[in-house]
Amino acid sequence: MNKIISKTNKLTNKFGQRQVAIVILLILEIILFSIITDYFFTLSNFNSIISSSIDLAIVSIGMTLVILMGGIDVSIGSILGVIAIVIGKLLIMGVHPILVILAAIATGIILGGFNGILIGYAGLPAIIVTLGTMNIWRAAIFGLLGGQWISGIPSTFYFLNESILGIPINLIIIIILYSFFWYLTKYRKFGRKIYAIGNNEESARLSGINVKKTFVLVYALMGILVAFAAFTYISRMGGVEITVKRVLPLKAIAAVVIGGSSITGGRGSVLGTLLGVLFINILQNGIILLGIPSLWERAIVGVLIIIAIATDLISTSESKEGTANEE
Amino acid sequence: MRNKLNNINLYKLISNRTVFLIILNILVFIIMSLISPYYFSVDTILSMTKYGVVIALISLGQSLVILGGGGGIDLSLGSNISLSGILLGILVNAGVNIWFACILTIMIGVFLGSIHGVLVAYGKLPAFAVTLGGLYTYGALAMVLTDGIPISNFPEVFSVLGQGTFLNIPNQVIFILIPIFIILNWVLNNTVFGRSVYLVGINDEAANLSGVNVEKIRTILFSISGGLGAVAAIVMTSWIMTARPNAGYGLELQAVTVAVLGGIHIFGGKGTLSGTMLSALIITNIGYGLQIANINTTWQLAILGILLLGAVLLNKLVGEE
Repeated sequence: MNKIISKTNKLTNKFGQRQVAIVILLILEIILFSIITDYFFTLSNFNSIISSSIDLAIVSIGMTLVILMGGIDVSIGSILGVIAIVIGKLLIMGVHPILVILAAIATGIILGGFNGILIGYAGLPAIIVTLGTMNIWRAAIFGLLGGQWISGIPSTFYFLNESILGIPINLIIIIILYSFFWYLTKYRKFGRKIYAIGNNEESARLSGINVKKTFVLVYALMGILVAFAAFTYISRMGGVEITVKRVLPLKAIAAVVIGGSSITGGRGSVLGTLLGVLFINILQNGIILLGIPSLWERAIVGVLIIIAIATDLISTSESKEGTANEE
Repeated sequence: MRNKLNNINLYKLISNRTVFLIILNILVFIIMSLISPYYFSVDTILSMTKYGVVIALISLGQSLVILGGGGGIDLSLGSNISLSGILLGILVNAGVNIWFACILTIMIGVFLGSIHGVLVAYGKLPAFAVTLGGLYTYGALAMVLTDGIPISNFPEVFSVLGQGTFLNIPNQVIFILIPIFIILNWVLNNTVFGRSVYLVGINDEAANLSGVNVEKIRTILFSISGGLGAVAAIVMTSWIMTARPNAGYGLELQAVTVAVLGGIHIFGGKGTLSGTMLSALIITNIGYGLQIANINTTWQLAILGILLLGAVLLNKLVGEE
């Protein structure tokens, strides 16, 4: 018995209490859905969960960085829409794919960086800035689409949906991006700066970190990740509709906080976020398999956010460890 | 030297928020009249005030929450309107007396607001996260409860609130909005509670040390905001005699925009409710004018977004002088 306790303690210390909790929840969720529906625990359903998670998985990395830094971004759904339209229009015009990729990334950097400048240099609250740009770019999507869907996009990027040696390319993308950003946030100076700013902006500034610049860089990085997600979106959907990705910001925020990051910044990790993404998408998948109206999904995610931040609050007030809890 | 002089003039102009807002109102009015020949008529102005009541009510709530400082913001207001309208419809269809149902709806609104308040003030959670959770939860609940189908068959007598007039002035303006504004404004300026709101907004640490119950005040502000959301839902439902599950979609953005454009400082403690009222008139003007000119309402989102960013920047500049 003692052995088990010490073992779990070790695990908890190594992995963070919240992550253990979310892993347990994830396993329970999988067992539950496997018992209730026959189709759930199959390879083809696994593949469909991965392919429906990819957009969220990619942007949630950016959302983790933004939230770790003490910010927030509700404009990513609109930004993804604008970039997807840019990609679609350029592909239809027959522009070379490399140029399309560059244009998409540039758009991401500009739109994301714009948020970052207003937040970092003008000192405006992140929620206000991104609420504003969310609506400006939403209107831009409407203007660019002119009330119609974009369809007939050349299948240049459809290969993203395929598999190499039986492994879905989407899964490979997720593994590469998450490994890279886990390394970046854990071992690189840039990543540690993000934690420092999220923990205490003032002391980060006093210790010589260029807070304003870091804000702009992180939001621009978010823009790049959103551009990646725009490619996976186009490759899966083959078109762009007006209401594209309206719930994306909420889901990303949910993934981050369910994954154990503190909504006030400074604590959390991208690996936790990956667990959060899986949790949400498996839930979504199970809800569809069970035939529950998909309207419920949003309500459940909304409640989960509140539960997650409330748990975060309780666990921080219990431990009072602050930065020691950081993993 | 000349540069400095210019700065001072400009500063004086925009720092006198009332003058600035009145000029802006007149400008919007002129532009809209140029865009649409139908705009400038007494009928239009009267029906516009109807439309503006809902926005003004939730903007007053939003202003109070933001005034209380500590990053206070209520993003749940739009969904609150959707859900409150649906609850009203469900209660009425269940045979509850319409006026009693209205009171119940307001109580539910206050209750929902108080939950936000408790989580934010006592739980020390960021207001944007709590109310963003509320935004999606209430919006989805409104959809789930109705399967997305609007509820109608309200009793005929209910229309008196949203469709009736008194001396040609819409009832909801004269009997709901104006009394609520006068009461809130009086409370804010003349009572200990009201002055504490400003104190809490400017410096909650100092307020706490001087014996003000910061948590209680913020909880009350969120509760008022929730209640005003429900009142706005009742007015809207009575006006169109239908409760739509997406009735409040996007209104939270309008409320935040109105509040900051009206001079409520986004970090709290500064601003007046009369500024909010003038600013609500501007936003209503723009929205209604675009509708009459047959310009798609999606463009309104862009204008609101730009106004929001412009207004917070402006407040920031004025605040730093």
